[in-house]
Amino acid sequence: MRKIITVIFLVASFVIGVKAEPLSPADIKSLLERIREKRAAAPSMQADFQEQRKVHLLDEPINSSGKIWFQAPNKFRVERKGNAPSITVSDGQQLWIYYPNFKSAEHYSLAKRSPLDAAISAITTALNLENVEHTFHIIAAKGEKGYDLELTPRNPSMKRIFQKLLLHLSDDLFAERTDMLQPNGDQIVTTYQNPNHAAIPASQFEFTPPPGTEISTPLGK
Amino acid sequence: MRFSEKVAFLVTERRGLMWSVVLLIALISVGILMAFLRLDTEVLNLLPQGFDSVEGLKTYNSEFAQTRELTFALLCQPEDVDKLEEFAPKFVERLRAQPWCVRVLAGSPMETPDGVRDLQRIALPLLLNLEPEDFDRAISLLQPQKIQERLAQLRREIESGSPRPEIELTLDPLGLITPSLKPFAGNAAMETDQPLTSPDSTMRVFPMVTNQPSISAFDCQKLMKQVNAFRTPALEGWDGGKLEVFITGRSAYVAEISLSMRHDIVATVLSSIALVGAVFFIGFRRWLPLLGMGFALLLCCLIGLAAGLLIFHRLNMVTVGFCAILVGLGVDFAILIYGRYQQARNEGDGHRVAVADAIHSLGRAVFFGALTTAIGFLALVLSNSSGFIQLGVLIAIGISAAGLLMTTVFFLFVPRGNVPLRSDWILGAVRNYVRRMQSRPRSILAISAPILIALLIIAIAPQIPLTFEANARSLEPKNSRAGTALSLIMQKMPVRWEPVLGIVRASTEQQLHDFWNAIAQHWAELQRAGKIKSFSIPNALALSPREMQHNRRKLASINFDAARTALQNALTQNRFNPDAFASAFELLNQLQAAAAPDYKIPSWRTQLPPGSAWWFLVERYFAQDSLTTTGFVTTNAPVATQEQKNVLARELPVTGIPITLSGWSYTLTDLVPWSHRQLLLISALMAIFDASLLAILYRDLRLWLVQVITLALAVAAMIASMKLLSVPLNLLNVLAFRLVLAIGVDYGIYVLLVWQRSHDVARDLTGVVKPVVLAGLTAIAGFGSLGWAHNPTLSGLGIACAIGLFWSLAATIFFTLPAAVAVKPKLPREHFTEAELEHA
Repeated sequence: MRKIITVIFLVASFVIGVKAEPLSPADIKSLLERIREKRAAAPSMQADFQEQRKVHLLDEPINSSGKIWFQAPNKFRVERKGNAPSITVSDGQQLWIYYPNFKSAEHYSLAKRSPLDAAISAITTALNLENVEHTFHIIAAKGEKGYDLELTPRNPSMKRIFQKLLLHLSDDLFAERTDMLQPNGDQIVTTYQNPNHAAIPASQFEFTPPPGTEISTPLGK
Repeated sequence: MRFSEKVAFLVTERRGLMWSVVLLIALISVGILMAFLRLDTEVLNLLPQGFDSVEGLKTYNSEFAQTRELTFALLCQPEDVDKLEEFAPKFVERLRAQPWCVRVLAGSPMETPDGVRDLQRIALPLLLNLEPEDFDRAISLLQPQKIQERLAQLRREIESGSPRPEIELTLDPLGLITPSLKPFAGNAAMETDQPLTSPDSTMRVFPMVTNQPSISAFDCQKLMKQVNAFRTPALEGWDGGKLEVFITGRSAYVAEISLSMRHDIVATVLSSIALVGAVFFIGFRRWLPLLGMGFALLLCCLIGLAAGLLIFHRLNMVTVGFCAILVGLGVDFAILIYGRYQQARNEGDGHRVAVADAIHSLGRAVFFGALTTAIGFLALVLSNSSGFIQLGVLIAIGISAAGLLMTTVFFLFVPRGNVPLRSDWILGAVRNYVRRMQSRPRSILAISAPILIALLIIAIAPQIPLTFEANARSLEPKNSRAGTALSLIMQKMPVRWEPVLGIVRASTEQQLHDFWNAIAQHWAELQRAGKIKSFSIPNALALSPREMQHNRRKLASINFDAARTALQNALTQNRFNPDAFASAFELLNQLQAAAAPDYKIPSWRTQLPPGSAWWFLVERYFAQDSLTTTGFVTTNAPVATQEQKNVLARELPVTGIPITLSGWSYTLTDLVPWSHRQLLLISALMAIFDASLLAILYRDLRLWLVQVITLALAVAAMIASMKLLSVPLNLLNVLAFRLVLAIGVDYGIYVLLVWQRSHDVARDLTGVVKPVVLAGLTAIAGFGSLGWAHNPTLSGLGIACAIGLFWSLAATIFFTLPAAVAVKPKLPREHFTEAELEHA
């Protein structure tokens, strides 16, 4: 019985797959133009997210969930819940990661070149998609619901951080799922739910460590 | 028979003998040149000796790895920055594939898996080299409980989304490598210190090390030929706009300088000969004497170069200007002698008599002219610059030879027959001038004196500055590709100002370690006190056999089996992937092995692969001899004054530790006062010598005063012209002043001796002024031809001299003579014997 269900699932997947239509370069250009218009009309986004990270150092994936706030082009705030909560805040120049359980925070400067720059731009790329055609080779297909984009970095600095970014957009052109594959084998799959495009106060992208927080600058910058 | 008649007899009646002697001298000189010719292309050898900073620069330039390092830079258009980033790895791959490439730095080694692996390879000696308390703190992490706590904590941090634990565990799974790098903590990351990408991303820089067998000029030329051939294929596959390749480095400079030396020799000698020949021909309309003059000058050059090689063994780049200068100077003698010879022939004397007459009447002037010029150039011995010492000695030898050859060998080329000139407009003009000067000297002085005084005022007026170029670029060849590349890279890259180098040599590893440890403590105190901004030193890699032995004994107390088990358990409990921690187990094995007293710890130099990017960091600090090292001090502001330098020289050294402080900026603070001292002190000494010589020669206060004032006004006019024409002084063309003094004295001697001793003043002055004018013009042409040299030192020297000689000549003709006539210092006729008067 289990085998039959598997076969049915595979056939169904194949049929669904056949229905995905690859987009021509002109169609991709047109799609990106529509995305730009959407972002211009609604530069803010907040959503619940679920994330699964496969880290090469670990035997099993790490699952987490929380809420994300994003303001184009590069401000964001991520609040993770669960056993290992954290708050990640970036105003595009600085990045803070605060660990309430440890009462510690890490501070990174994004202005100077660092390994984090590309990782951050991976997040912002997924949620913003501004000028992606300049920094990525793009393959896209129209699915039954929404669009699937495969972004391969052009730049070596990006390539060092991730090999490929698979992005599923809803029919209204907002990210629903991202799948980032890194050169060291790490993989991060994120799904976004309950999106909302209401304006976000600027304070949401600012962070002041609570008193008594131990602050470190791991990259020394 | 008088000396002049003996010489006339030899050159007219014993020509075969004379030719044999000439050929013998020429053959010996050519033989010496062919057997011993060695060129010294090191630009630093032009700098004066006796300064520690200069010696330090030479050590850094010759003994450290930068001698074989080239820097490639790719510069694209602003719209192509993404394409350049994509293209860069392809370029690096091609560069690495070149047979002359040993390694390339394409980015911070910490960003590559190979770089991290290389660092893990050398972790053991670095860890064992820690100070005892740091080592104790580090190995305490091997306690089973601490291993478990650390990994559990890192696991929680990974879950929280921090990138830090991943970075840390990838590099340093046991937590021991980071402490072992602590001595590097003061050293900024390589990428920060030497950025490889410009802020606008249009330029990317790729330092690389070549495998050239030696650092000789010929090997540099050979390498650069291959490197330049790589320029075109290197850019294959580039599909953007204009992409330029720039290459700089010592080899690029040496190749260019040595090639430009060849160009400079050919260009300056040919142009000098052409210009001098043109002036001579215009003056005398004779070909054979011109050929004779050229031959005699060539022989002088050969003699000077051969003697120079025997004395110095290698000829410096500045001495390539020797030939042009010698042509400019030696031609004076030929013109003077031939002018007098022709005058005698025109008055009906035969060939032999005219030769004897020319030698007799002008031999004294030529002798004193050669003497003052030779001593003027020999004064360069006081410059302390080996290049200029060579130049001075070679010219002193050459000019002495010229004095001798122009009064002997030159006449071998003068034909016995004489065809009088149909019209000599130069002689006519000179005759008119002399006549007017004799009758109305004050009218000429009324024009020349105000001009010279106005120039004197300009020369001393501080409102119009005389530019002084005190930078290394003033020593580079003009339009140097390597120089352009370097200045473009420095312009594009936000580098801080140049650090001060502290070069330390030790006799043992332990001593080197102790030296740097003491220096580290001292410099750290200076940094805390705000006296310096930062510093970076090689103490992490300067291993201490004593500390290592001490630390190894402590390893014996560690239970490595327990540590291994704890690590394994922590990995399992926290669900880490054991494969990702293989290097942790490897380091534990190495530490356990090192605990055994008989175990020989491999040197980190053998553990680091030859292609590792870490070598770029290592070789910043270590010379080829690993006991010669350097540290770098970043000062609070660029070192620009001698006061700053003196403070650093006082503060940076540690008592008992020999350290040589250097760096270009630091050295220039020594060299600028040196140049000023050169200009003032040695020129003053020269002036005193000249003044004394003139006093002995004239034995007449008024004539002596006229000549001294002329020299002062000529030098002032030279300075004023350089100010008005914006001709900068550089570290070395300040030496032009003494040269102008030496030649200016000669012109004065030629005309004033004749004025003083002649009984037919109009005839004799006309006879000497024309050759002096022609000699002056040829000397100006000779020195001016140095302006074609690629080497700015040489061209700067030539231009400064040409300006100075112009004013010396002008002041002699339009000031010295009319002033001498005006003050009427002429000696009474009875002071001379009949014989003297006959030939005066």
